[in-house]
Amino acid sequence: MTILEARGLRKEFGGLVAVDEVNLTIQRGTTHAIIGPNGAGKTTFFNLLTGKYKPTRGTVIYKGQDITQLPVYRRSHLGIGRSFQITNIFPNLTLLENVRLASQALSGDNFRFLQRTSLLKKHLDRAVQVLAIVGLTDVYAFANTLPHGGKRKLELAILLAADPELLLLDEPTAGMASEQVPELIETIRKIQREGNKTVVLVEHNMNVVMNISDQITVMHLGRVLAEGTPSAIASDKTVQSVYLGELYDLPGKS
Amino acid sequence: MTTRLIENLRENWLYWLIILFLLAFPFLVAAQTGSSPFGEPRGDRMVMRGESVRWQAVMIEIFILAILAMSYNLMFGFTGVLSFGHALFFGLSGYIIGLMLEYTGLDNGIALILGIGLAIAINGILGLLIGLVSLRLKGVYFAIFTLAVAEMAFIFFGRFALTRAEDGFTLTHVPIWLDATQNRITLYYVALGMGIFTFFAIRRLINSPTGAVFKAIRENEDRAQSIGYNTLTFKLIAITIASMLAASAGVLQVLLNKKVGPELLGIGNTVDPLLMTIIGGIGSFTGPVIGATGLHLLDTNIREATITIGSTVLHVSDFWGLLLGAIFILAVMVFPQGVVGTWIRLRMRWQKFTKSA
Ligand SMILES: Nc1ncnc2c1ncn2[C@@H]1O[C@H](COP(=O)(O)OP(=O)(O)O)[C@@H](O)[C@H]1O
Ligand SMILES: [Mg+2]
Repeated sequence: MTILEARGLRKEFGGLVAVDEVNLTIQRGTTHAIIGPNGAGKTTFFNLLTGKYKPTRGTVIYKGQDITQLPVYRRSHLGIGRSFQITNIFPNLTLLENVRLASQALSGDNFRFLQRTSLLKKHLDRAVQVLAIVGLTDVYAFANTLPHGGKRKLELAILLAADPELLLLDEPTAGMASEQVPELIETIRKIQREGNKTVVLVEHNMNVVMNISDQITVMHLGRVLAEGTPSAIASDKTVQSVYLGELYDLPGKS
Repeated sequence: MTTRLIENLRENWLYWLIILFLLAFPFLVAAQTGSSPFGEPRGDRMVMRGESVRWQAVMIEIFILAILAMSYNLMFGFTGVLSFGHALFFGLSGYIIGLMLEYTGLDNGIALILGIGLAIAINGILGLLIGLVSLRLKGVYFAIFTLAVAEMAFIFFGRFALTRAEDGFTLTHVPIWLDATQNRITLYYVALGMGIFTFFAIRRLINSPTGAVFKAIRENEDRAQSIGYNTLTFKLIAITIASMLAASAGVLQVLLNKKVGPELLGIGNTVDPLLMTIIGGIGSFTGPVIGATGLHLLDTNIREATITIGSTVLHVSDFWGLLLGAIFILAVMVFPQGVVGTWIRLRMRWQKFTKSA
């Protein structure tokens, strides 16, 4: 069953076409990887799906509903959660507050002017629980004091707190020390399986991509170059020549 | 019930102490200086002579500035909305109460109550409207928009014949019981009450789930939206409450000076609370209060001073602006988090030091 569908999505920045007539269907309960070199348009594509940018043309359908014109915050209420390639947290708040805010956002508690936040225990409990899932325990530390790897975990925790149905993960392991990567990927995998979530993952590590995905879409210069199962993509001649061979042997990509 | 009281006392004892002190203040000064907290009688009237009433005026001014700075801090310090037009709400509210008292012919008491209600309501609505048309603008563009609106009001009232253009008008219909030249002590307690209310109301709001979203917006508006907050709504709430609080400060200001004029709308009434907030400690509860107290005490005590070096006599008032600027630059460079932020940092460092020792 389809949960998300992009139809003819196009985004221009001035003269540059960052996303070019992309058609893509995401099946519910699957892990779908989007790969492609830097500048391929993956992040822009996510920005169109989440509403940060409005497309120049095309539509986004979520669970049968046209959400192309919905603002960002409305989409998260529909169950779409997103993590960012460039860490996007609340720097001068504690880890607990970072995640607690995400739990509060979709509840009916936002306009309780006279209530004390500290007495709304369910969001605090949820925050502690989610932080534990990603392996962050010093919940009273300020977010900006975390090392990079910790910030990546927090980024994921903020997303998880709202318990979204569809998780759009933009390079969740970007810049992480390689020994930390498997643990984070395993966490993502576990959440996907246990909650029967749908995960759309942008990731550069080919081992991870091949292992974790049910379906892979390859983007290049804003277009979909190929789509298929991991084994089909691995043996696809165009993909190999344009992309896999040349680019993924290069170290230090972001 | 009693445990809650004890809890409260333990948490807030310093605040209660300060409140008690401020309640007793007119009488303490009176006792110290042998003056009367009610002024001196002249025939059947009172004249505001003596140290106690003089200090009451200074303190009322501090309460007003503190309310204005706290309301500014609610927008800028807690929600991250930078405004250059805060004087608009302050000054407009002064005009509203002034017009009600002097131009409607209503009974003084009724005009006063109605005027206060109208000043607060109109400014709340105005804040909301300004927010609606301009809060979609990012950061500094919003600030410039608010500056433009405030300056337009300044220019308008500077020429508006009915309110006597740049001269402004004096209030002659303030009810006796609240008249700063007859019963200053009532105004003192009203202003104190409003100050205390503002302080605790803002604290309650910021410690609520709503206030948590304000801080999230200040920290990262983009992310706040992406986790599901309609940030515009929350910014509108902040600006509406802040403009109503600024309006209440404006009411107190014209009741203290018994004078309404375009200077109420001047840029100074935006800059002062901004400076007080930053120097005192932005985004803290006590920062704006400390900033307002410190700067105003400096203002009243040093501004009139003269410095004699040999045969030259320097009047501090001549270079007061320069001095204030220097204090500000120094504060921002040496204590970027203001008095309160610096205090907290020192305390944290001390705790770390004693823990590791
Ligand atoms: N806000 C923007 N304004 C202008 N150009 C942009 C913007 N965002 C992305 N681009 C451009 O669009 C192209 C695709 O970028 P991006 O979506 O970030 O690629 P990827 O995530 O695949 O690395 C790049 O050429 C990038 O420079
Ligand atoms: Mg990207």
